[in-house]
Amino acid sequence: MKTPSEDHDLIRWLDGEMTDAERARFSTRLAADPDLKAEVEMMQRMSSDLRAHLPAEMTVPYGDFFNSQIQVRLAQEEPLIPEARASWLDWLRLPTLITATAAVAIAGFMIMQKGPAAGDSVVLSIYVPNASVHARTFHSDEAQATVLMLDGVEAIPADRKIVGYYIERTETDQEVAMTTLYGKSGEVVLVVSKDVRNQPRLLSATPRG
Amino acid sequence: MNWLLIFAIMTGALTLANAQQPIPVVKPATDGKVWGALVYATNNAKGFVGSNEQAPADFADIPQRLEKVFPYQRFEILGQHLQDVFREYESWVVPTKDLFLKVDSKGPAEGGGMNLHLQFWRDQQVLVKTDAVLKAGSPLFIGGPKWREGQLVFVLVLQK
Repeated sequence: MKTPSEDHDLIRWLDGEMTDAERARFSTRLAADPDLKAEVEMMQRMSSDLRAHLPAEMTVPYGDFFNSQIQVRLAQEEPLIPEARASWLDWLRLPTLITATAAVAIAGFMIMQKGPAAGDSVVLSIYVPNASVHARTFHSDEAQATVLMLDGVEAIPADRKIVGYYIERTETDQEVAMTTLYGKSGEVVLVVSKDVRNQPRLLSATPRG
Repeated sequence: MNWLLIFAIMTGALTLANAQQPIPVVKPATDGKVWGALVYATNNAKGFVGSNEQAPADFADIPQRLEKVFPYQRFEILGQHLQDVFREYESWVVPTKDLFLKVDSKGPAEGGGMNLHLQFWRDQQVLVKTDAVLKAGSPLFIGGPKWREGQLVFVLVLQK
């Protein structure tokens, strides 16, 4: 098990903060300690991955609000960890903590943008399978609505006719994983089932439009 | 009269009565109801497809709200769907075959509304998966693909 000072040396070495003499001593240790070498390689890989996948700069929407929330949280936790402050600062440099901070920040932006009121709908998480599509969410006070904007979705060809339905009632039969959708007059409009890949199959009975 | 014969006649009558009753339809438990619509947003009303769909009275102000978010002035409801949100099963909101929504209930939300898992589909491709808290009176607008001279917007509202 490594001592805190060894952790500290490792971080300083990764950050390029050592003097020439210290660097030489650490390199000697590195050559003699396979575990230490493996840990260094792992941290270098992690750091490299982070640099490759995280943008160098990110616009912080409503940054004042987010920063104030961090200040409040720090003020709340400060009395609880007085002796841990030095090591906490060291850990702050670690890529893992940076990743966690970034993840919390992104989640925080999504949840706390404009600090939605109790009666507002909220988007809690977003996953976009297609890498060329970018999703962003915000709340519009003016429209009193929550917006999930998908940018980069391939346009629907202009000559494609979009047929709309009026669906008033559905019946679901879970034994055969099928849902029947009924229109205004009780007529069957659509049947929704799934294929072997668990993707929806829509069978239209009475197309309109 | 033979008591055995009486018993047989009564049993037969009861069986016949039961057979004539309709089979009870078991409706799955629901957590709420949502209204979903696909809206064509454009600045050129001449490009409307001619749909006569109107939003229900409760959601009649949806076009005005959309105008405050999207850079368009004219909104045409292409299709709409009023859907129970099943407690145990997935629900589908399908105002059109082109763009539709899969809804899974994750139970009532604290302070009202519903926790939902949503999947927004375009044909056989899921565009986005999201967890959301949907509150009555606070619609969710999903800005979808561009189409013709405008954009398609999916509107989801929790019914009160």
